[in-house]
Amino acid sequence: MATEERKSEILDKLRNAVIEYDEDSAKELAQTALDEGVDANTAIFNGLVSGMQKVGALFEKQEYFVPELLMCADALYAGLEILKPHVKQMDLGVRGSVVIGTVEGDVHDIGKNIVKMMFDVAGFTVYDLGRDVPLDKFVEEQLKTDSDLVCLSAMMTTTMVGMKKIIEDIKKKNPKVKIMIGGAPVSQDIADKWGADGYAPDATNALKDAINMISSLKKLKEDAEANKKI
Amino acid sequence: MAEIMTAKERVLKLFAGEPTDRAACFSGMGNATTEGLTRLGYKFAQVHLNARQMAETAATTSKIFDFDCCVMPFDLCVEAEALGCKINTYPHSEDLLYPTIKEKIIHNEDEMDIGVPGDLTERGRIPLMREAIGIAKKDIGDSVPVGSYVLGPFTLAGQIMELNDLLKLSFKKPDKVNALMEKLSAVIVQVAQEFEKAGIDYITVREMGATSDVLSPRAFNTLILPHLKSIFKEIKVPSVLHICGKTNDIVGFMMGSGAKAISVDQKNDVADTRKKLGPNALVFGNYDPYNVLVSGSEDLVRETTRKCLDDGVSAVWPGCDIWPTVPPENFRAMMETVKDYGKQ
Repeated sequence: MATEERKSEILDKLRNAVIEYDEDSAKELAQTALDEGVDANTAIFNGLVSGMQKVGALFEKQEYFVPELLMCADALYAGLEILKPHVKQMDLGVRGSVVIGTVEGDVHDIGKNIVKMMFDVAGFTVYDLGRDVPLDKFVEEQLKTDSDLVCLSAMMTTTMVGMKKIIEDIKKKNPKVKIMIGGAPVSQDIADKWGADGYAPDATNALKDAINMISSLKKLKEDAEANKKI
Repeated sequence: MAEIMTAKERVLKLFAGEPTDRAACFSGMGNATTEGLTRLGYKFAQVHLNARQMAETAATTSKIFDFDCCVMPFDLCVEAEALGCKINTYPHSEDLLYPTIKEKIIHNEDEMDIGVPGDLTERGRIPLMREAIGIAKKDIGDSVPVGSYVLGPFTLAGQIMELNDLLKLSFKKPDKVNALMEKLSAVIVQVAQEFEKAGIDYITVREMGATSDVLSPRAFNTLILPHLKSIFKEIKVPSVLHICGKTNDIVGFMMGSGAKAISVDQKNDVADTRKKLGPNALVFGNYDPYNVLVSGSEDLVRETTRKCLDDGVSAVWPGCDIWPTVPPENFRAMMETVKDYGKQ
């Protein structure tokens, strides 16, 4: 078993591997973490996710742009793949499932994939319908999986209009479902008008929102652990 | 200036830097409307595939609303299709959907060294485009400028390969991306020249993929701009460079591409751009085509038209394709405001 000092060194390195979009190191360090007895959940949250938080900040400051963001995401996934089988089911009281996809007519899925990643990290069950998804498919999939959340993405003005119909259809059949819409042409105004519960106009905001969500999960986890100790 | 000009005179004089009777109100991007399609009895999914229907649809915004242009095509797949991509026009959908690429020609990094067909200009819908432009010219070309558009090399690359891969490779393997964009720039020039031969009066190069929302201004300058310059050097008709999203940091580079005019969307602070580029630069756009023109009130439409002019645009020009369901009264309100307020 590694010392606390060694553990925090591993976590730091794991974090940096994500920030420096170093896929190979992320893989190696995830394995090192497991080998030396770092808890997989801790490695995910205090290593990978912590790195992604920094990436989000760099993106917001316009030091990083979408290419860097995508490469960091690859590094995160590389580490996650190794750690995930070792994750203990977290009792955070927010277990959930989400249906996510890019609406028909739109073949752009970068924003969608970034949001998906954060759900993956958070331990959500993600039903990814992919891109260019016929509108009915969202409604069907939500009913089939009884998911709590449906995320719709459209990158172009010419495709976002389809989201309106999906929101109406889903809310009609299942008013409790939360719906998030995302993509460059989307605005708070549109989200309100169409009855969506949340929106993110771009990757920065999607990432920020997703990070806020993950951060509150992290907080819950820490609280839960603190309680255990008492 | 008392004389009322034709739309064509107005737009060509604008590009030439000469005075006009009023501000022009036109677009370099798609502006088919449901109103126009309904009057003609055409379905949106069809008009991309039939030269006569395309030309007639393109002419409707001028005929119905007095818009200062006639622009075709309506989708972004023409060049990619000529290069061998398969497109989807969603013929069975009841919704308004723009064609997309169904099958790309580059599936991984090793396939980036593409071969460009020798008979490129006879492939896909290039012949159809020539025919459609010819029909529109004959129909209204004396009084209305006929325009078209091509994609920029980075955006076209994103059509023929995964955008995800393209973005990462532009960082990891810029040489490979550069080589691909060089080939694509030659393709774009070939297509643009075909459209010129067919009679277009102006052309827009849409490099939407290279906005500062996605790529750093530095990457734009080193990776994209040289290719844009090589394209604009070969184009003879008045040209416009359109980039959407955040563009304030790159408007100087955009103007340096050799395009006659630049086009931006509502995320650009146009007053700031005007200050940066000086009084004579041709700056179009900034008009929000969906939130104002389609879903805004008539008052908002008028107010936005005035604000764009006050902020210093050189023409009232929607910052992207006009979504077809634009209410006719909104379109009219925009035109009336330009005709009235844009008379300086």
